[in-house]
Amino acid sequence: MRNLFLFLLITTTCLNAQTKMSSQEASALRALVKKQANITKTISSDFIQYKHLDFLDNDITSKGKLAFKSPNTVKWEYTAPFKYTVLFKEETLFINNEGEKSNVDIGSSKVFKQLNTLITSSIKGDMFADDIFDISYYKKDANSEVHFMPTDKQFSEFMKRFEIIFNSKGDVLEVKMVEPTDDYTRIIFSNRIVNKNIPDAVFAH
Amino acid sequence: MRFLLISLFCFALTSCASYSKKNDFVSKSENEIQIRNPYFAYSNKDYVYKANLTFYKKKFSGIIIVKKIADHNHRVVYTTEMGNKIFDFSFIGDDFTINHIIPEIDKKIILNTFQKDFYTLIKEYALSEHTFTKQDLHIKKSQLWNENHYYFFKNQQLLKIVRESGGKEKVVYDFSGTSKHTSKNILITHKNIKFNIKLKAL
Repeated sequence: MRNLFLFLLITTTCLNAQTKMSSQEASALRALVKKQANITKTISSDFIQYKHLDFLDNDITSKGKLAFKSPNTVKWEYTAPFKYTVLFKEETLFINNEGEKSNVDIGSSKVFKQLNTLITSSIKGDMFADDIFDISYYKKDANSEVHFMPTDKQFSEFMKRFEIIFNSKGDVLEVKMVEPTDDYTRIIFSNRIVNKNIPDAVFAH
Repeated sequence: MRFLLISLFCFALTSCASYSKKNDFVSKSENEIQIRNPYFAYSNKDYVYKANLTFYKKKFSGIIIVKKIADHNHRVVYTTEMGNKIFDFSFIGDDFTINHIIPEIDKKIILNTFQKDFYTLIKEYALSEHTFTKQDLHIKKSQLWNENHYYFFKNQQLLKIVRESGGKEKVVYDFSGTSKHTSKNILITHKNIKFNIKLKAL
């Protein structure tokens, strides 16, 4: 009896933590996120990144700032424990590695183009492309969690799954990129400001 | 003619002189002793470095992570700053396993270079068969990969490892910002190709 009680308790707790959405709930979430994404012209946010490797005692933590400008200019700026900026702008990837600047032409690289599209989409959360991903929807406390599994074999060899957590307004709180080995990179956003003008200087290289 | 032969002979002698002779090392002992590289020797520590790699004019950066899993068992992983894995290697004893590598660098010559560079870097114990001194340096010679490696110690602190061939330096490992068990900065310089790896502890 006690075991049954424990089993029920654990199951209920798990269910509370994460339950599958109904198709109506999933459609509503998609609509909300798409609506938000369409009206998003700029985003600025702080982030903390955790790199999890199963053999390490601690995740590798780095932090920084994100700036996004519609349609696809994105700047990731790591401020600690190292200074490194990567700016996706037009067809070029601009890098500033601790003061040393370089750039990569991504116009010809399909992989980089895909990466940029993914990064832009994931910041806004709008990755609902059924032709690219198998998508599952979950409720997690007051938030929503969506799993995007790449259908392309080549793509799935380096990325098993994206997980995005949205708050009730459809804003992205967290992005997790899970590798085939289950190692992952988890990015948690905070101080997110939407549609506030970001000076061009922020996106200068 | 005889003078020319002698000159050539002398030239041959000097050019073939061993690395230790060329650098005026003073032979001290030929007893076998154990050398210890303490910088990746603790399994309870995650060794995380910001890495800058230079190959001729190309530059790459990222994070290099080293973990001692058990004795004679290390994992070496290189990721971009954004977390994407470039390579993931296991060194177990003398065995080398590639757990992951991006196709762009999955080439034998690149893999051999990384394998040797990191094997020497993480190898905790080596056997020295010849010891030298030079001023306040203690230099211990060992064989790894059937190639001579010279370990330079000052006040018992490992400062440098040199892989040598034909009397010439091939790869130099410089350790700086060292304390007893850690090296904050590591520079691996190749002398025969323009390739170096610069590591800064995070």
